[in-house]
Amino acid sequence: MDNPQKILIIEDDRTLQSALVEMLNKEGYETASAFDGDEGVQKAGTENPDLILLDLILPKKDGFEVLSEIKDSPGKNIPVLILTNLEELDNVQKALDLGAKTFMVKSDFSLRDIIEKIKENLSK
Amino acid sequence: MFAKFLDDLKFITTCKKYGLGLWQCPNFLFLMMGIITIATMIGTFFVSSRFASEGTTVMSVTIEVALIMIIGSLVIRGVEKVAEANIMKTEFISIISHQMCSPLSAIKWNMEVIETESDPKECLPEKQAVFLKNIKKSNEQMLKMVTDLLEVARIDQGKAVFEEKVFNLADLVKESIVGFQGLAAEKKVKIESQIEMDPASVCGDERKMRVVFDNLIGNAIKYSKEGGKIEIKLKKNGDKIIFSVQDWGVGIPRYQHSKVFEKFFRTKNESRYRTDGVGIGLYLTKAILKHCGGKVWFESEAGEGSIFYFSLPIAD
Repeated sequence: MDNPQKILIIEDDRTLQSALVEMLNKEGYETASAFDGDEGVQKAGTENPDLILLDLILPKKDGFEVLSEIKDSPGKNIPVLILTNLEELDNVQKALDLGAKTFMVKSDFSLRDIIEKIKENLSK
Repeated sequence: MFAKFLDDLKFITTCKKYGLGLWQCPNFLFLMMGIITIATMIGTFFVSSRFASEGTTVMSVTIEVALIMIIGSLVIRGVEKVAEANIMKTEFISIISHQMCSPLSAIKWNMEVIETESDPKECLPEKQAVFLKNIKKSNEQMLKMVTDLLEVARIDQGKAVFEEKVFNLADLVKESIVGFQGLAAEKKVKIESQIEMDPASVCGDERKMRVVFDNLIGNAIKYSKEGGKIEIKLKKNGDKIIFSVQDWGVGIPRYQHSKVFEKFFRTKNESRYRTDGVGIGLYLTKAILKHCGGKVWFESEAGEGSIFYFSLPIAD
């Protein structure tokens, strides 16, 4: 890819991060990683990602707060895809109301499925 | 209109919080009890004042009110305990499901990465080793969680097995410190130790005492700020051995001190700092030490860190 698109992954679990980073790099995407909510908000501004994968349970600031802050910043049009194990209906609704494009439950999605969702949302 | 009135008094919010109907909600029952008490007082007054002397009237009203208050508060306390147990059950399921799903997802995705390395030219052993290590780490996380939960269940049912043998606690402290060097280096936290008693003979289950050190020393490191330090001390005090571990990390707010050793309890500070863990480490620590004839206690202030202590009798 000449100008690879960049994905910011905001996820505190390093074993999940490394698997995501590896697969996205193999697909030709550039990646940036944040391991807590504060770092996530900061990198959403400094890394200029084309898309953000966001976990909901994070240290320092949870995913909902991070999503809110991103949607209130110059990066508000960056598509944010939620990637979490919290499947409850009110969490799904809250995330979508805050501006997330889609909600993926980690245990239901393979890495291949996640990449398909990313492609779908980047082409919009 | 009645619904709005109840909503303003936060009854509806409390009912939703406990997952209960209005007539099972402790706050609403308390209001009803108040109304019934006042009505009883007025009714008794009017009846007694027609048929009995003033003194008898006052006495009757006072006794009735006292009885109603006592019975009412017992009933409401009982209902509150049921409501709390209900919340705990729901939160337990939520916490456990989330904590189990994360390492399971990690195992699934890391295996998917290894599977996609199907081209022999791309199948680099050192690269695969990273993902295999991730799988191993997630597997160990799951195993520890399940083992700890089973231990909690056994302790609750009085079926936990404890070995009784004399061993040197100082050796165990030193081994634990060595074991935590990796985590301490990762978190950039220095471990300082002062072992004033060696040998420090105690009688108990050495394997379970490792769990105590895993929790106390592990917590001190995990909740320390980067670049900080923890201090471990082991000393004699009369016929007891006192162990302490101090950190200068997030600390525990005062209003949560009474719950620290409860099952599945995690302080708000804790949840903000790290997201893993189901909140049974300190419950297990206390149970293990109690079985060995010991005690555990702590001092802590939010933002200033904590000191956790335990004492054990010296074995002859």
